[in-house]
Amino acid sequence: MRKNAPAKRTPRKRSGSRNKQPWFWRLVVRVSLVVLVLLAAWTAYLDAVVTSRFEGRRFEVPSRVYARPLELYDGASVTASGLQRELELAGYRLGRSDSGGTYRRNGGQFEIYTRGFRFSDGQEPRRRLSLVIFNDKVREFTVTAGPPSAIVRLEPAQIGGIYPAHKEDRVLVQLQNVPELFRGALLAVEDRDFYDHFGIAPLSIGRAMLANIRAGSIVQGGSTLTQQLVKNFFLTRDQTLLRKANEALMALLLELHYDKDDILETYINEVYVGQAGTRAIHGFGLASQFYFGESITDLKSHQIALLVGLVKGPSYYNPRRHPDRARSRRDLVLRVMADTGLISEQEASRARGQPLGVSARASYSENRYPAYIDLVRRHLARDYRREDLESEGLRIFTTLNPDIQYAAESAVSDTLTSMDTDSERALESAMVVTARDSGEVLALVGGRDPQFAGFNRAVDAMRPIGSLVKPFVYLTALQHPDKYTLVTPVEDRSFSLVFDDGRRWEPKNYDGEERGEVPLHRALSNSYNLPTVRVGLDVGVDTVRTTLQDFGVDGEISGYPSLLLGSVSMAPVTVAQIYQGLATSGFNTPLRTIRQVTDAGGEALSRYSLKVKQVADAGSVHLIQYALQETMQEGTGSSAYRTVPEALTLAGKTGTTDGGRDSWFAGFSGDLLAVTWVGRDDNGPTSLSGATGALPVWARFMARVPQHGFSPVVPDGVGYHWVNSEQAALTDEGCRNARLMPFIVGSEPEIEISCGGSIQRRVQGWFEGLFR
Amino acid sequence: MTSKLIRHSAVLAMAGLLSACAAGPGGGSIYVPASSEEPEAPKPPRIETGAGEPRVERKSEQPEDERMAPAYQQEGDALPPAARGLIQRADSLLASGDAQAAVSQLERAQRIAPRSSTVYFRLSEAYVALDQLGSAEQFALKGLSLAGNDASLQRNGWLLLADIRRARGNVAGADQAEARAANL
Repeated sequence: MRKNAPAKRTPRKRSGSRNKQPWFWRLVVRVSLVVLVLLAAWTAYLDAVVTSRFEGRRFEVPSRVYARPLELYDGASVTASGLQRELELAGYRLGRSDSGGTYRRNGGQFEIYTRGFRFSDGQEPRRRLSLVIFNDKVREFTVTAGPPSAIVRLEPAQIGGIYPAHKEDRVLVQLQNVPELFRGALLAVEDRDFYDHFGIAPLSIGRAMLANIRAGSIVQGGSTLTQQLVKNFFLTRDQTLLRKANEALMALLLELHYDKDDILETYINEVYVGQAGTRAIHGFGLASQFYFGESITDLKSHQIALLVGLVKGPSYYNPRRHPDRARSRRDLVLRVMADTGLISEQEASRARGQPLGVSARASYSENRYPAYIDLVRRHLARDYRREDLESEGLRIFTTLNPDIQYAAESAVSDTLTSMDTDSERALESAMVVTARDSGEVLALVGGRDPQFAGFNRAVDAMRPIGSLVKPFVYLTALQHPDKYTLVTPVEDRSFSLVFDDGRRWEPKNYDGEERGEVPLHRALSNSYNLPTVRVGLDVGVDTVRTTLQDFGVDGEISGYPSLLLGSVSMAPVTVAQIYQGLATSGFNTPLRTIRQVTDAGGEALSRYSLKVKQVADAGSVHLIQYALQETMQEGTGSSAYRTVPEALTLAGKTGTTDGGRDSWFAGFSGDLLAVTWVGRDDNGPTSLSGATGALPVWARFMARVPQHGFSPVVPDGVGYHWVNSEQAALTDEGCRNARLMPFIVGSEPEIEISCGGSIQRRVQGWFEGLFR
Repeated sequence: MTSKLIRHSAVLAMAGLLSACAAGPGGGSIYVPASSEEPEAPKPPRIETGAGEPRVERKSEQPEDERMAPAYQQEGDALPPAARGLIQRADSLLASGDAQAAVSQLERAQRIAPRSSTVYFRLSEAYVALDQLGSAEQFALKGLSLAGNDASLQRNGWLLLADIRRARGNVAGADQAEARAANL
């Protein structure tokens, strides 16, 4: 270790001691030789280290994960508070909207100055927008500066990253994209002789000391940029003499092999400039985004000065934590910039008058959406290797809607908190929200504490789905309109099944009652078990299983009759997948969390396009949609309308498993499909049913999101008729109990009943019709 | 008296228009803003153990005109102007031979107008241009499921479907689709 030190002294000794004893001379020669050999070997070793690291230099750039960009246009659905949250998430500052990334708000009136963003389908330029939000809709949308457009995408908010183990984050920049002023300021402060020295500069150390004395504080550091780079790049942080020597040696070697611009560019990308949690912010490319939400090419002189000043002590001069220190440091840098002629005195004093202008908080905190990012990573793993995701600087454009996510998270945590008062402490929950017609996953909640990056119940909690299976049983039946319609009487009477091995199965209704004959639609909307099993056995358990598979279940489904009451286990995301087909007219739409992955430059690598596949005929699905709306209006889901406006005309289904172990709700509006689950991680019993556990979460969520009501288009081959559903007969609109119900054309009741309701009158009517 | 009557019927007509949006003719889904204030979050109903799920059926004591009814509509949703602009952009991309870029713009339009059959028919055409006829057929079907009683949309959809099926070698399916178009 200390062999270097004598090595430097040996030449002096050698010249001054020629006539000493031979043994001493021999010793000196030997030691010197050994030292020289060691030094040479060490230098060769360092050279190999320097070159291999620099030649194969490939910064590991983490991938960036973005939320969906908010589209603004006349008629866009957004709340004023939602828009504000969205802007804050994207690092917009509230204030005068005279530069990119700022906005003003006065009630529902917004003025937004966008930063612009390069999407793979084209540049979205900087613009100033003016709009009013009234009744949760954008009105009077106008572009007041920049290229006009009727529809504008805001920059997507970054919601996460995929980092290598060392958690270094950076955005690579090329030297030619770094503003001249930035380079000038950096060199003026850190290394004025950069282009003249050969790695180390003893002279500049002296001059720096002089400058520091003159300024009364430390303005310049003694070590060259090359030395600083070496220090960051290859060495540990401890300050030893040996390390200094190594540093100097490596700096020399680096300069020997590479040209100045190469070294400067690497420095600009390597330098450490801040910390966000466990994430280390490296390089000025990321620094300008991290502190200002700006690209480095767009920085103004006061912003450049702040970043350059940070190099000296990113934590001590942290502008978010120590704005006063950061400001005086920035002003000092501005003075150096003026002294060296980089900017005029006027510009310097104007810049000194500027506020720090740092975006209010770190543009995102990496653990904000752990459950969602977890699902994104799983989807990415289908097509990308982990090493590439951690190092290639990919951009991942997801479908997350931050405002919907916010509503989902708060619905889960608020509702579960209110349930806690009933000593249901161990309750957990999960929620999935998708766009009904596109299958885009808009929000995902993995547990009641949405920040907790642990067990992701939305994806991994496999639970029996209970009555959520019933729509698929009846859908399978309704695909035979000759046999089943919504008014077909089904038997609500107990029975027992005896299996080959002698076991018996005696299903019961939830309330233990039996009602004799009930019309099919009522059996579904009230979630009666006995008729469901009878119908399911009639159409065949295997046929029901096939229906479930067509709608998107890819795991194992047992063929036992208990399937008909939902003994099959699924994760909430799978439930969302199969309900997608019910919510649309029988179109299975694969759930997606990713729209597109691009490389660091914005070129598309892969697109995940919208796909649809018809898996059931639109007519029978329409009938199920009727019954699921009825469920919300008259059946097991009706408590939702205490919270939700009636105009939403929602459709949905409750699900409960034995002992309240699982409380489920799945349902949809015109725009959204949401699935909620409430239960315990230890699978213990609760006093909840689907209607009292999962439904309140779901309803609270639906009430908080502006959206379109559910109103399905009547498909070809379906007609509506006024019927008396108890009698399975056509009737007059004015009669009591008359319901307007959909039928597959040709399957409507053949008998007619008047308001009086006697058979005789029906026959009379038929005769009258015959002879009219 | 007359003026009162007219006013009254005007109110009725307004009410009729409003309800027509929910069910029956009128077209377009109803937009419901978020409940502005945190709604009186009802405590989740705690029902005596064992009586959670089923409710007592509503009997005839319920006045019928107060009962909500499941919604449906005969017409598909109209295309909002913002989506129309994106579709125009997609059309010119398609004309210049960049079908993949057209799909991107159409997917934007789909997110804005997810219940408009036009968007899906255009997606179908873009996938025809990309020679992905399986996707093209599915989007044509999806468009048809939302076309409602608009005869010209229906006809265009069935003819598009007929072309696609013929190109896929499904002659019987194509004839069937053509027959549907002819019946409109």
